[in-house]
Amino acid sequence: MKMVADETKKIKYEYTRLVVPLGPVHPALKEPIRFIVSTRHEEIVDVHVRLGHAYRGIEVLAETRNVIQALYLVERICGICSHAHTTCFVQAVEEIGKIEPSRRAVYLRTLIAELERIHSHMLLLGLMAHEIGFDTLFMYTWRKRELVMDLLEEITGNRVHYGMNMFGGVRSDLTPQLKRKVSNVLDRIDEATRYIHEVFQDKTVEKRLCDVGFLSSDDARELCVVGPTARGSGIDVDFRRDDPYAAYGDLKNDFSVVVRSKGDAFSRVEVRIFELYESTSLIRRILDGLPDGPVSSAEKVLKLVGGLPEGEVISRVEAPRGELIHFVKTDGKGGLKRFKARTPTLANVVSLKPMLVGGEIADIPVVIASIDPCISCADRITIVDLDREETSTVDLVTLRRKKRD
Amino acid sequence: MTEIPVALIAIFSFPAVVFFSLLFEGIDRKLHARMQNRIGPPIIQPFYDLLKLFSKERIIPATADYGIFTIAPVAAAACSIIGAAIPFISIVSGEPFMGDLIIVLYLLAATSVMVMVGGSSSGNPYGAIGFSRMMTMIIAYEIPLFFSVILTALKSGSALTSYDIALAQIKMGSCMALAYPSMALAAATFLLCIPAAAEAAPFDIPGAKTEIVYGCLIEYTGPYLALLKLAKAALTFSLVFLATTLFFYAPAVLNLSETWLIVGLCLLFSLIIMICVVTFPRTIFARLKIGEALRFYWSIPPVLVTLSVSFYLMGL
Repeated sequence: MKMVADETKKIKYEYTRLVVPLGPVHPALKEPIRFIVSTRHEEIVDVHVRLGHAYRGIEVLAETRNVIQALYLVERICGICSHAHTTCFVQAVEEIGKIEPSRRAVYLRTLIAELERIHSHMLLLGLMAHEIGFDTLFMYTWRKRELVMDLLEEITGNRVHYGMNMFGGVRSDLTPQLKRKVSNVLDRIDEATRYIHEVFQDKTVEKRLCDVGFLSSDDARELCVVGPTARGSGIDVDFRRDDPYAAYGDLKNDFSVVVRSKGDAFSRVEVRIFELYESTSLIRRILDGLPDGPVSSAEKVLKLVGGLPEGEVISRVEAPRGELIHFVKTDGKGGLKRFKARTPTLANVVSLKPMLVGGEIADIPVVIASIDPCISCADRITIVDLDREETSTVDLVTLRRKKRD
Repeated sequence: MTEIPVALIAIFSFPAVVFFSLLFEGIDRKLHARMQNRIGPPIIQPFYDLLKLFSKERIIPATADYGIFTIAPVAAAACSIIGAAIPFISIVSGEPFMGDLIIVLYLLAATSVMVMVGGSSSGNPYGAIGFSRMMTMIIAYEIPLFFSVILTALKSGSALTSYDIALAQIKMGSCMALAYPSMALAAATFLLCIPAAAEAAPFDIPGAKTEIVYGCLIEYTGPYLALLKLAKAALTFSLVFLATTLFFYAPAVLNLSETWLIVGLCLLFSLIIMICVVTFPRTIFARLKIGEALRFYWSIPPVLVTLSVSFYLMGL
């Protein structure tokens, strides 16, 4: 916190500037993150991002447990993309242990991943509406999101932490009855998406989102942004297609990657709206081509992971917010030597500065929401900035980019 | 019917105005919720809110200027309630107040200024941004609002008294807004300015929650916040009631004589106007940015006012 005090002091005597502390508690932010925004009138001249308010030490905790316990811990990294985290982790452990999940299980993993993408994107679209003061759209979107949440609960037993993935398969099967229900709900989701899409093209909404939070394609490439944030800036990247995992290899002709080249907040929203359509059509394909067979391995899970050799693997999936990387190193005794997760938000949060500088104060919530930050994901990671003279405590995340000019 | 002294009516009008302001706010919130597919709070929720806030402790930030910070909410609530009560009393009692329109317009502007001053005295940067945004908004809507009222007064025979304008409408047997094209335009200007003055979306820019955390209200808690909320509710009520009296005085058309019927009809029309100019827009629009709001208020209302003035000069 010493650093913040110094910064404030330096700028305090420039009377044309006003330093606005945004966060860690602010209605525009759903999770604790701090932005120190210097403004001149309504224009933003400088931004500092600080993470670390939700640090929970999950990585260290995971290293003290065996892989099965760690699986449940990994699921609790995030309350939105919990399935992406477990899929990534399970893939890594299966790779080390040479465990082959059944085809049906892999398809079901993909199904849940796509349902999760729908609910995550709907959450963000509602949030965007809320940030621009359009509460009616926010209420509508979140109400329709309940359709997916209910579906997920019916399939897996839980709304948020599905507990679906297990080493060698998944934990619950899709009955024919549920299958019919899923396809019924998909129609309703498509209908809702069309409506949301229409409302997002409203004049007042467009005015707030178009030409706001501009991120050029070059900047996006340089800052290594991922997921819809990158796709909104014209970078054609999607690990479901580029590096297929789960059942995406079989389904790669059944979905297209949505790319928009404009690079503003509206194109990032548009990417997500069109991805909703892609996800529903992809789920329909999964339901049609769902292979028969068991969903979990015949062997007991304890036996499967008991013989887990020593090894290290990097696994990656396309979470709703972008590329999620897990690094898993096992100790050969059923536990973990090192576990590390690089979440999409950590890759994207650095892009906020070029997006915000030059904009207006009124745009801050819109721009921040447009990258869909998930702080609970990002805040388990420790970054030590060697450029800084102050040695901040390592267990607090210090993420900061110096002004580049 | 026995005559009730005006003083007595005046005394009872203040609680009545507070009651109707909060009731209108409750109805607005309920309708807003129903249109959003929500159940919404009970209609008397604003009363509960007020009672609860009044029972909370008073917190004054260390950076705030004690005197201004504490006086501003009281002054804001007093200004808006008196501003709402004056036209209400003259309708209920049937007694004109000489030049009350000037006082009402002054009091309504004073309410916004008091909120602004209180917010900026809190020492919070968000309060400062709220101050500058509110200042901009006041500059944007006050002038067309003032023009439309002055034109109405001139049209009804140079009476700067709301009751005289009502009487003129009774004499015509028609509403101002329906009788003359110039007055229809003046009414449109007045109605367009209501959402900005009442800080309703799409013009809730000075108190935008997700952007600047309610702006001027940021440091206010407990009784002070209650007073400011009351001030806002009374301000909205006062504006819609004034619009009814000046432009849509329905009792004139129906030729009513019973006082309670006249007041009831006025309140009903005020409610309809509030739903049309406050509840609907805030349900169907996103919040504008300050520059866009300014552009809106410096383009459409001035055109309407100019047209209205030219129609007035032509005798229409």
